[in-house]
Amino acid sequence: MDEPQPEPRLTATFPSPPPFWKEFTEENLTRISELRVAQSGEASKKADPAASLPARILDLPPELRYLQPPEEPADGIYRSFGDLYNLKNPLPSLEEMGIENLYTPPSTPSHSGKYSDRALVLKRIAKSLLLNFLELLGILSHNPEQYDEKIKDLRTLFINFHHIINGYRPHQARESLILMMEEQLERSRAETRGIREGKEKVEVILEGLGKVKMGEEVVEGGEEVREEGWDVWEELDREFA
Amino acid sequence: MADRLTQLQDAVDQLATQFLASVHFVNKHHELKTLSPKDSIRDTKKDDDGAPQEVDPLPADQFKAGQTELAQDLIVKEQQIEYLISMLPGLENSENDQEKRMKELEEELKVAEEERQQALKEKEEVLTKLEGIIRSIKRP
Repeated sequence: MDEPQPEPRLTATFPSPPPFWKEFTEENLTRISELRVAQSGEASKKADPAASLPARILDLPPELRYLQPPEEPADGIYRSFGDLYNLKNPLPSLEEMGIENLYTPPSTPSHSGKYSDRALVLKRIAKSLLLNFLELLGILSHNPEQYDEKIKDLRTLFINFHHIINGYRPHQARESLILMMEEQLERSRAETRGIREGKEKVEVILEGLGKVKMGEEVVEGGEEVREEGWDVWEELDREFA
Repeated sequence: MADRLTQLQDAVDQLATQFLASVHFVNKHHELKTLSPKDSIRDTKKDDDGAPQEVDPLPADQFKAGQTELAQDLIVKEQQIEYLISMLPGLENSENDQEKRMKELEEELKVAEEERQQALKEKEEVLTKLEGIIRSIKRP
């Protein structure tokens, strides 16, 4: 007897990737880059290839069509998993969300402005949170009906706090990038140092060998030279052990 | 470990949860009072219908201890938040400073990479030389 139903689990498994991933072969990639070079050569030689996306090639063979990234949506809105997203996605200001803005400067600090004033604002809000909570408890103990206003205050404080945090994110991202670059620089320098040290060691050994060779040429088969030679070989053994 | 900004965000959310927990604790476990001498406190403890009681009074010392603990936790959390704020990265830098620093680092990275390549090349040369010499030597 046949199975009554196809495996229901199949519908729940993760969807397989879109079929066009198979087109990204070495061969196709080479072909499209050749086509791009040809196209840009024909179109204009002034265009800066690094600054702009590769020019769109219109009449592509079908198997190369997926290798060309699609254009940005013209209206700046895209859809992902059924939700609409904005391409720019700016952080809406508190006023736009209908929340009272508690801190000055109300807007994000100017290009050269420091962020330390934000820390001050954050600390103030943190203290206000505690104080307002205390006040809320006081109100609750005397007249529980009037909780509404204080709760709103607390809500405004929390939202303000989160808003500052979110506005801080780009700053932190840049800061992290700087840290990573510093680390990379340090790693690179350490590697260079290591290579140089290795090179110097080899040079020392070479010098030692040079002496041995010269010694061998001058005193053929001398016992002293032999011993000196052994030193070098021991050194080499240590180095390459 | 999340970055400091996220830690701060989580800490603030935890503070909000602690607010709620504190109010809930006081609301749930406070003692019962009579409004006039004629009132008596109903003994709801004997209800065995299993329904959660609206108020479940704790002994005075336990209630006090709970309050103290919650209050202390609130203060500690607030101090954590302040500490996290003062540890936020790059408080002293403006966006312009950051851009400048990034450009500098980019240049330095380029130089360092060139040096590294140079050192690699030198090492290769020396190694080749060494190999040549080793091959030409007869081991005694």
